[in-house]
Amino acid sequence: MHGPSFVYPNDVHVAWSIMIVLYPYITGLVAGAFVVSALYHVFHDHKLKPVARLALVTALCFCSCATVPLLLHLHHPERALNIMITPHQTSAMAGFGFIYSLYMLLLIVEVWLLYRPEIVEGAANAVGLKGFIFRILALGSRQITPGSQKADEWLIGVLAIIGIPAACVLHGYVGFLFGGVKANPWWSTALLPVIFLISAILSGIAALLLLYLVLCWAKKITPDADCVRSLCKYLWMSLVAAVSLELLELLHLAYEAGAEWDVLRELLTGRLAVSYGLIQVAIGSVIPFLLLPVAFRTERYAALRTFLGTVSGILILIQVFAMRWNVVIGGQMFSKSFRGFVYYNLTLDGREGLIAAIVVLTLPLLALFAASRLLPLIGDAEPHRPPEDLCKSMPLDVCTSHQ
Amino acid sequence: MSQQFSFLRDTRHLQAVALGLVVLGGGLIAARSHLIPKSFGEHGPYRGDALREIAAQQPVLTSDTSCLKCHDSVHEERAESPHKDVACLHCHGNGHEHMAQAEKAAGDPSVTIEKAKPWDGDFFTKLDLFITKDRATCLSCHEKVVGMPADFRSIDVKSHLADQGAENIDSPDVCFECHTGHSPGI
Amino acid sequence: MNKSHDSAGASGCGSRPATSGLNILNQGTPCSGGGSCGGVSCGGEQRSKADSRRQFLSRATSMVFGSFALTLLPMESPETAAETPLPAPLNGGAVPAPPAASAAKPVLYGFLVDTEKCIGSGKCLSACRTENHVPDGYSRTWVERYVHFKDGTVQVDLVPETGYHESKLPIVDAALVDKAYFVPKLCNQCVDAPCNQVCPVHASFTSPEGVELIDTDHCIGCGYCVQACPYGMRYINPETNSADKCTWCYHRITKNQEPACVEACPVGARVFGRLDDPESELSKRLGATRTQVLKEHLGTHPKLHYVGLSKEVV
Repeated sequence: MHGPSFVYPNDVHVAWSIMIVLYPYITGLVAGAFVVSALYHVFHDHKLKPVARLALVTALCFCSCATVPLLLHLHHPERALNIMITPHQTSAMAGFGFIYSLYMLLLIVEVWLLYRPEIVEGAANAVGLKGFIFRILALGSRQITPGSQKADEWLIGVLAIIGIPAACVLHGYVGFLFGGVKANPWWSTALLPVIFLISAILSGIAALLLLYLVLCWAKKITPDADCVRSLCKYLWMSLVAAVSLELLELLHLAYEAGAEWDVLRELLTGRLAVSYGLIQVAIGSVIPFLLLPVAFRTERYAALRTFLGTVSGILILIQVFAMRWNVVIGGQMFSKSFRGFVYYNLTLDGREGLIAAIVVLTLPLLALFAASRLLPLIGDAEPHRPPEDLCKSMPLDVCTSHQ
Repeated sequence: MSQQFSFLRDTRHLQAVALGLVVLGGGLIAARSHLIPKSFGEHGPYRGDALREIAAQQPVLTSDTSCLKCHDSVHEERAESPHKDVACLHCHGNGHEHMAQAEKAAGDPSVTIEKAKPWDGDFFTKLDLFITKDRATCLSCHEKVVGMPADFRSIDVKSHLADQGAENIDSPDVCFECHTGHSPGI
Repeated sequence: MNKSHDSAGASGCGSRPATSGLNILNQGTPCSGGGSCGGVSCGGEQRSKADSRRQFLSRATSMVFGSFALTLLPMESPETAAETPLPAPLNGGAVPAPPAASAAKPVLYGFLVDTEKCIGSGKCLSACRTENHVPDGYSRTWVERYVHFKDGTVQVDLVPETGYHESKLPIVDAALVDKAYFVPKLCNQCVDAPCNQVCPVHASFTSPEGVELIDTDHCIGCGYCVQACPYGMRYINPETNSADKCTWCYHRITKNQEPACVEACPVGARVFGRLDDPESELSKRLGATRTQVLKEHLGTHPKLHYVGLSKEVV
């Protein structure tokens, strides 16, 4: 840029806050976790069996909280339903209500089917609040038959298959929401939906790996070596894909060096130097890129594997958060005059402040904790084998039919 | 295998879920049609009332045409003046109360029309009607600023006053020693 | 900059009546002249182009949403809606109605800014703030000053709302300057408005006269339109918590008055008028002058045209 900076007068207000960083972050975790569950349910990667159910429950817990940051962000949250009452066909955002609702519905039904044996058993045997919840969840159906199991299994498979493109739409569409803004050269690229999607898968796998290790530690179980190695492998693969795409986009912008590159270069070397260069690339990408192969190639040193997996998982979750931040906030750090920069003031309090953001991120974890009190999340992941005592109590030859 | 697959019996729980979803979906669609604002789609895909509400807002700034209805002499005075496009309101205010009084006075001769007050020096003044003989009013347009078109009559105040031999160079109404507002001349 | 304009120079005009939907019906009489406005869809080449684009978009999006959206959501399409005529605009102002020639043609407004005339007085700025009750810290219109120095640098700054006189801004040394000029900015009223395209709830809408407006009672305040406007025209109004922007003073122009900024401009740098009327000053000026629009490469097709821009103007 030549000469002093100039910012359009309305551009000093950053319209999209940290809540809009959290929203793609959370839906990304949903999409990513779902993909892991699909790897098991659809592509039958049996090494992922221990986390197959955890993956789906995680997806559900995060999905159920995905609207919270949006509602905190909307200046008229009480009118939020207008998006479904009078949706505008040409708006990328108008699809949110429908895509989100359908996806949420799909998740609920799939999780319900997956846990039906536990629910039916709980409805019969559990007491107190737990029993009450199970009896509601059972929806009046207290029997499991070999036939019903077959039907459930089939439906789970179908939902998992539908769920893959649905997860891609749910998250790719978030990328399109940004990628379709032609006014903003930092956003306006067809690559953005793909980048968002791959990085969503990345964050989902990382979150699952961490959750699995934490749950194992909490339950004093040794993590399944194959499962952890497999997760690390998928994590590394998606890391490579995500970072390649992210850098490709940057390279493309820099190489073409269009009219707006001046301001973007200054952005990257200035305001985003730390959050992009240091956190997203150096710490969040390079270190896990080096650590993960050690984790998934080690056959013997379980403690080392757990340690490296944990470190990489945390770093990758930070990487993905930084990526969302750099896209959402970074894209608003320059004025559309392309002649000056804008500051984003993250306050501590307020609807869109740091504390609210931390609460929003904690909510899905609380939901997950509540779910863990009710249902087994890890361990025996065979979805349709009812517990032993249930087999005995039931008139049907469930257990043998399934073996 | 003790029993064969029976659709009715073995998918009863799924039938319940499906029925629930159909009822829920139908309820939502029915609810939606009630929630669409009444005037939506009247002129296009938006609330017709919104268009009317915006159009119904009352103008605040007074157009010159309103002033010139009565003050036609000013119209003549300004006809050949470089100030013929300068809105009355810059130097005299919006005069909403003034116009209301004038209207009343037309029907009832006992009503007196209030005189204009001197300008209070605020460009966002709350005065309804004022007269300014303050150089600030003139200079808000005519003080030379980098960026003005070459053919616009802008002045450097000090040198202009010196050149023209103005007497009271510090007085606010110094401009009016030589110029009038409506037809400032050269 | 003088910021002391809360109820801002409303200049004792007293209370502004609340904006009531019914109000309009009781005011003035339907204008007999150029009163009849037609649908949204026609009116010149750009218009039909925009429409075919919208149709395409609607179809494309419908395909994306799939049959679900099509069957469950009877969404009003712009094409059908455009056929509903709007009641005639009201002749509430004192200005005589425009010629009646356009009885069959829809009204279509346009705007021309002549940067070669603008003197940077800022009269339009205070006028707009007063007329539209724009909160401090936000702007519906502004005037940029471009100063090209002899060393090749370009400095851009904003004209103070009460002009440069007594503004205490550092004075630019004219001896160092190659050229300098003022560029007033306001809503471009794009034919293919990206802000309208992204509004998820139809709170952004196009009036039958082609003016982009905001339904502040329907807006959810998501801020997507703020992001989508390439010209930085939109903001979230902290008083209504809804999106806001320049409307070309829709409430004035439908009463046959000029927009406030045009009314206030002492040098005729802002020209507002009807594109559909070949006899309007605007049409004549546009026909006789070489004009440009801002950020043309974005394909927004602004109805705001400029005379005398330099390539540095963004």
